[in-house]
Amino acid sequence: MSVSDQHGDDHTLAGEYVLGTLSPSERQAVEARLTHDAALQDAVMSWEERFAPYTALATPVAPSAFLWPRIQRSLNAQTPAHHPQKAMPERRRLFNSLPLWRGVAGLGLAAALVMAIMLARPPAPATPEYMVVLLAPQAQSAGWVVQASSRQRIQLIPLGTFEVPEGKALEFWTKADDWQAPVSLGLVAPGEPVSIDLEALPPLEDNQLFELTLEEASGSATGLPTGPIEFIGRAVEI
Amino acid sequence: MTDVTHEFDHAAVLERCARGEHDALHQLYQQEGGALLGVVFRIVKDRGMAEDIVHDACLNIWQRAASFDPAKGSARTWIFSVARHLALNAIRYRDREINVDHSDPAQFEHDETFQHALRIEEAFDWQTGQRMDTCLQALETERRNCILHAYVDGLSHAEIAEHTGAPLGTVKAWIKRSLQRLRECMA
Repeated sequence: MSVSDQHGDDHTLAGEYVLGTLSPSERQAVEARLTHDAALQDAVMSWEERFAPYTALATPVAPSAFLWPRIQRSLNAQTPAHHPQKAMPERRRLFNSLPLWRGVAGLGLAAALVMAIMLARPPAPATPEYMVVLLAPQAQSAGWVVQASSRQRIQLIPLGTFEVPEGKALEFWTKADDWQAPVSLGLVAPGEPVSIDLEALPPLEDNQLFELTLEEASGSATGLPTGPIEFIGRAVEI
Repeated sequence: MTDVTHEFDHAAVLERCARGEHDALHQLYQQEGGALLGVVFRIVKDRGMAEDIVHDACLNIWQRAASFDPAKGSARTWIFSVARHLALNAIRYRDREINVDHSDPAQFEHDETFQHALRIEEAFDWQTGQRMDTCLQALETERRNCILHAYVDGLSHAEIAEHTGAPLGTVKAWIKRSLQRLRECMA
């Protein structure tokens, strides 16, 4: 069925690679060859140049406000020598004792159960003013919910379990739009609900960012998030 | 240095990235972040995934900036190709996990729903004023559509067949021959 002439073969292959129509295994094979095959590299680059103007057919999309900070954090994590920020003062690290959190009673509840409870009746003290759903960036699935019954006290509620790798811990952070840097709210144990006092911080505000990052077992040494973001979300006034 | 929009020097920015200047990557992001996200989003069709890929692309560009060779092509093309291929890899490997095996042409060719009269209206407002326009223009509309569905939308052969109503084998042959004709035309 295939009647391509010998010389045209690699050029067509390179063209299909650039178009994106090769199967995953064919793509892998081309990428493997590209590491050492200069002629194929040139063929691919020629196609990239030919098609490049048509990237303009895709309408630009404004990135969300936290994409660049996230890139910057990953950049800082890669190149500690270039780390420009100063560590957060120790007193702002409100909770950093993992054993403390482990001591908090309660097992992880199934997502459906938590949602059912939350939808059925507002939690005891008062109707929450703010709510945050923390999503896993990769899976876009909800992992945790933050509820604020006042602007000074929040509850972090797990919707499922999370496998923390050996020697690592989940660290909880928040940052309002006009803050310079995120502030640590301490380490949290997966699957366990936690209440956190925000007394030392300005009152919770709309759109305030919350995230859980994977850090060393003792928490981020710099006082700023350094590890990958596992869950992220913003406060919504309700 | 006041007007960066008209004379943004992508090659110079890559050079500064290669020297470890974070600020250079930020400038690149400010200049092209929206365009990169647009290209990636069009392919993966999921906002969160698109942002993940632009994040990865920026780190990739940062790490590989030193390997960029201005003698081999334009810096802007290189930057966009890094992001596009991450997006293509992401959807190809994702689809391999959750979808039917697209590599079996018979399954599609024997399915009569794909034998509809072909829709051959232009699928894209595609003229960009570049030399390649003339060569794309020389292709039949349905073949041009296949090429652009692949490049812009990141559709696989099977998805293009489904989208255009053309049989899978025909789509594969059209794309191969169109590439050969485009290359001859651009030579």
